[in-house]
Amino acid sequence: MSTVITAPRKAPQSPLEASSRRSRWVVVLLLALALLWTLVPLLWMLLSSFKNRADVTAATPQLLFAPTLDNYRNLFSGPNNLGPYIWHSVLAAGISALLAVCLGALAGYGLARTQMRGKRHLAFWIISTRMAPIAAVVVPLFLIFRGLGLIDSIPGLVLAYLTFNLPFAIWLMSAFFAEVPASLEESALVAGCTRWQAFWTVVLPLTKSGLVTTFILCLVFAWNDYAFAVVFSGPNSQTLPIAASQLVTQTGVDWGQLTAIGTIVVVPMMLAGLAVRRWLVTGLTLGAVTGE
Amino acid sequence: MAHRATSSPVLSRAARPETRAPRAPWIGFEGRMMTPGLILLAALSIVPFLALIAMSFSRVRLLGGVALDVVGLTNWVRFFTDADMWMSWLRTIIYFVLTVGFEMVLGIGIALCLYRVLRGRNILLGLLLLPMFAAPSIVGLLGRYLTDSTFGLYAWVLRSLGYAGDILGSPTTAFAAVVLMDVWEWTPLIALITLAGLSSVPQSVREAAAVDGAGGWMALRYIIFPAISNVLLVALLIRSMDAIRYFDIIWVTTGGGPADATKIVPVRLYETAFRFFDLGYAAAIGLAMLAFSIIIARTFVRLLDVRGLTR
Repeated sequence: MSTVITAPRKAPQSPLEASSRRSRWVVVLLLALALLWTLVPLLWMLLSSFKNRADVTAATPQLLFAPTLDNYRNLFSGPNNLGPYIWHSVLAAGISALLAVCLGALAGYGLARTQMRGKRHLAFWIISTRMAPIAAVVVPLFLIFRGLGLIDSIPGLVLAYLTFNLPFAIWLMSAFFAEVPASLEESALVAGCTRWQAFWTVVLPLTKSGLVTTFILCLVFAWNDYAFAVVFSGPNSQTLPIAASQLVTQTGVDWGQLTAIGTIVVVPMMLAGLAVRRWLVTGLTLGAVTGE
Repeated sequence: MAHRATSSPVLSRAARPETRAPRAPWIGFEGRMMTPGLILLAALSIVPFLALIAMSFSRVRLLGGVALDVVGLTNWVRFFTDADMWMSWLRTIIYFVLTVGFEMVLGIGIALCLYRVLRGRNILLGLLLLPMFAAPSIVGLLGRYLTDSTFGLYAWVLRSLGYAGDILGSPTTAFAAVVLMDVWEWTPLIALITLAGLSSVPQSVREAAAVDGAGGWMALRYIIFPAISNVLLVALLIRSMDAIRYFDIIWVTTGGGPADATKIVPVRLYETAFRFFDLGYAAAIGLAMLAFSIIIARTFVRLLDVRGLTR
């Protein structure tokens, strides 16, 4: 009997704890590997952008070097000044994201609240335009834009970017609007608001985070686009990713300048993406997964 | 998601109660809100879609204004008899399975690891997410820099491990390289979505499993995975659709080479259209790609419907 009582009750736990301590180290190790895999290319790009020509193309990787701003300086002075490219990128991506958010908020609200028949078919059609392969969309748009004289113009790029940003914005905003309780709107209506006033003064302010998230994600998608820009843009509208790819020529690549452009293209979007991280899951899954 | 806003009786009523009869207008407030966006979307999707169909039955001339000469089924016959084309589809499917497969496995693994970390999880997650926001074309160019046989960092690492070949220069390694670049860029997305799913599994469920004696792997297999399977399905859907869409990385690294080793269908389509300006044939390829992606999307949406995930 005494054996039953004195049987150490904690005994079965200790191997478990030992294994959990061991698996803790495995977790730390795996995460360290993941960080290495993720960050090394980015850090290498950043480092290389501050190297001089010899260090960039050294056969053995140079970790210690005299940093120089030459690559960045050369991008902004010299014959192919990066300024216009940045301006085109800002204009095309910014206007496209802004238009997508405005129209997307209206249509997203309508989609969230409507009770029309065939609503699901409408929703599927909207999202299917976003999922269409880019290469398949570019070909007919090229013909249409050529006919309308929209090739090599910022409005052309804005429209092209709307083909993927508008359906995204509609669907995403509708997910955010669906989270706003209808009772709030009802009280506003009872208090004498029109539907529009209820939307504008009650519902819209509640989806501020949704608006910001939608804008930033649309901005990132448009800013990062290459396939549309390479077909539709010309000397008057070329964007940053095009400028980067143009540095790659048959005769050789100025990798110092290229890593500098890469940094200029990539860093702002990373900061923007991290700024909306709280709503990123909702955004990138179009509201299908509602996060924490 | 709990709010059934659409069934609210007040919102469906006319805005001002004092108007005589509750006559429903032909197009309600919701309809008017949707109109501008949907008209623009229709112009940007239906018109090009019709143009794509018309082009696929024509030879497109670009000199002196755009003109379509109807050539009947020529482009389609060519599409179905083109042996290179079938190889491209095969390559596309391999590329698709490899990228999405690796991304799912690694993404879920990273999410499970991150989930066990309590302190500093946010900072770690933030750092791990960074590749997702990088422009794919820059990822490709950076990949070229890192794998350059004379001064690339990764080429140097491989050389010290005993591999001295030109990574983007030979078919198998070039294919592996473009797959890995895509995996580098998009694994964080899967990790992010999975982590959100894991965080939504109630603590009590996992505690109950632990009390019942379910160890790490058992809990994972029987508790965690079933609980997040819907979330994983959404992640798979999103990533699959984008894997068919994006081809920037391949376009700027290998352009489909060497010896067509990385020529997946979007690359071939792009090249047909804007290198050879054979827009009619490109349109036929485009329609086939469109059909392919719609079939995949429909399948996933049906799966999600069965699980009651779509609104």
